[in-house]
Amino acid sequence: MSLRQSMAGLHTWGGLLPSWLLFVIFFAGSIACFDKELERWMRPAVHEPAGHSLSLDQVRDILLAKAPDAHAIWIRPPSEREPFFWAGYEPADESEFVRLALDPATGEVMPETVGGLFFFTLHYDLNAGMIGMYIVAIAAMFMLVALISGIIIHRRIFKDFFTLRPDANGQRAWLDAHNLFGVVGLPFHLLIAYTGLAIFVVFYMPAAIQQAYKGNAEEFFRDVMGAYEREDVKRPAPPAASLDALVAEAHRHWGGNETGWLSVHHPGDEAAVVDIRRYNRSQIVDFQWTLSFDAASGELLHEQKPYSAGYASYAWLTNLHMAQFGGQIVRALYLLLGLMGCAMLVSGLQVWLRKREARGGYGIGLVRALNGAVVGGLPVASLALLYGNRLIPADMAARGSAETWVFVGAWLLVAVWAVLRRNSGKVARDVLLALAVLALGLPLLNALVTPQGSLLTTLGRGDWDLAGIDLVLLFSGVVCALAARRLSLPQVEKAPRRRRLVEESA
Amino acid sequence: MSKAKTSTRWDLTARVLAAILGGYAAAYAATAFLSVYLPLMRSDRVVFASLACFVVYTFAIIYAFAARSALRVWLVLAGATALMALAAYLPSDFGVRP
Repeated sequence: MSLRQSMAGLHTWGGLLPSWLLFVIFFAGSIACFDKELERWMRPAVHEPAGHSLSLDQVRDILLAKAPDAHAIWIRPPSEREPFFWAGYEPADESEFVRLALDPATGEVMPETVGGLFFFTLHYDLNAGMIGMYIVAIAAMFMLVALISGIIIHRRIFKDFFTLRPDANGQRAWLDAHNLFGVVGLPFHLLIAYTGLAIFVVFYMPAAIQQAYKGNAEEFFRDVMGAYEREDVKRPAPPAASLDALVAEAHRHWGGNETGWLSVHHPGDEAAVVDIRRYNRSQIVDFQWTLSFDAASGELLHEQKPYSAGYASYAWLTNLHMAQFGGQIVRALYLLLGLMGCAMLVSGLQVWLRKREARGGYGIGLVRALNGAVVGGLPVASLALLYGNRLIPADMAARGSAETWVFVGAWLLVAVWAVLRRNSGKVARDVLLALAVLALGLPLLNALVTPQGSLLTTLGRGDWDLAGIDLVLLFSGVVCALAARRLSLPQVEKAPRRRRLVEESA
Repeated sequence: MSKAKTSTRWDLTARVLAAILGGYAAAYAATAFLSVYLPLMRSDRVVFASLACFVVYTFAIIYAFAARSALRVWLVLAGATALMALAAYLPSDFGVRP
């Protein structure tokens, strides 16, 4: 077997097996580029700009009233993309961290929602914790291997890039599409797969810490992050210094930058420490420059030292993946490139199918069923989640789980139906039709249920973050409707157009 | 060009196992090796060695399917792993230098 033959087999099967899993990861990751905007869209309480905002000291008091003996509390002040407080605490019994989203004007806990965070978590661990994280890593390794083997089998990358044969037989047209999306997205896909793996590298590859730190990961993180810690002395503290004053102090120290999250360790103890982190979106490496203050006297105890070359490289790579730098234009590009990755996967699956439909083979029904269930099911489920967000009563207990059930239920419905109808040849059209109806209906529902966040209102305010979501939904709905219409036209064999292009020399 | 050989089920299974397990072992040994011998400070050795592991793993997998025979894959991966692991684990205190 020649190298190209063996790589073709590896690319075909090593590409097919993780395709559906990768589709879920790509799709969720693309949407997660705008997770903070979605988060706000899903929280009608912060659709209108708040007139005023609570001070940090008030938020601290709210947290300490909820958990007087917390080990630690943390606060994320409002930002442009998330105009509300994220706050939380670590309970005294060391159970799970508690996370709250607080209305910036009143300090009330806002109605529960899974928010845009749902897609972010789906992207990196499928909402399945550690196990999911490893499954995603395995998919990413498959992706790297598929990319490298794809490059090896692709003899004429440059020439093929300009080859599109939409009127050719199915397999060849899909192959051209697969190559086009694959080649245009190649640098991005390599970057994304590699940096995605790099983020959790200490979980996936412990060899270096085993060797150089004798397995002591904490010591390694102390070396690179330089966090300051102080044991509690179990003596009640004098009244604490004002957090707002400390943040102003930190701004003077940094030269005026946006505040990231701040935390208070052992609040109410004599040894309480306030950590304040910088959040700098203007650079890819967002060095947090953590300042640690004594919570009582406000004295600066410790300042984080700049990252070493190694950790700065790691931060640079991982932040290239996270797309939190460079504003909305970078995120929009990542979203488009991510969707291009989805298109590459779908067209690759079609190549596999068309080839075997033409010459027969095993597994055709299974692949068709999975295509309908996953490629069709996830987008429908995502839209259903947004419907759930608007329709589930705000005061319902465990509202987040209810939203998740809407998502899961919609996905299961589509999956069952796609499996049953796998050989009808109509699944794609019907899914597109459902997507068109759902996507076009959402802005309408939004206007009916939450008038302060309706498209006309947000456009009038110049609130592009919220308006953008509705506009993208309308646009997607129209695209899906047109695609569905095209698929429902009677498929006649078109007479081949006269070739104006010179035939490729073989 | 190698002789066109019909790849048997055993050959394929051996390659798949070599790719997944042998590839990870080689990546593990290479990471350990680099974390000891890179001429950098300790935390930087750990970061750069760890970041390199995915390159080693990916190319080990590619090699597992490109090589002439499954036996050759196993010999090469096992050999490389053994050499790098020995080099990494023999000098016990060299790796923890600052």
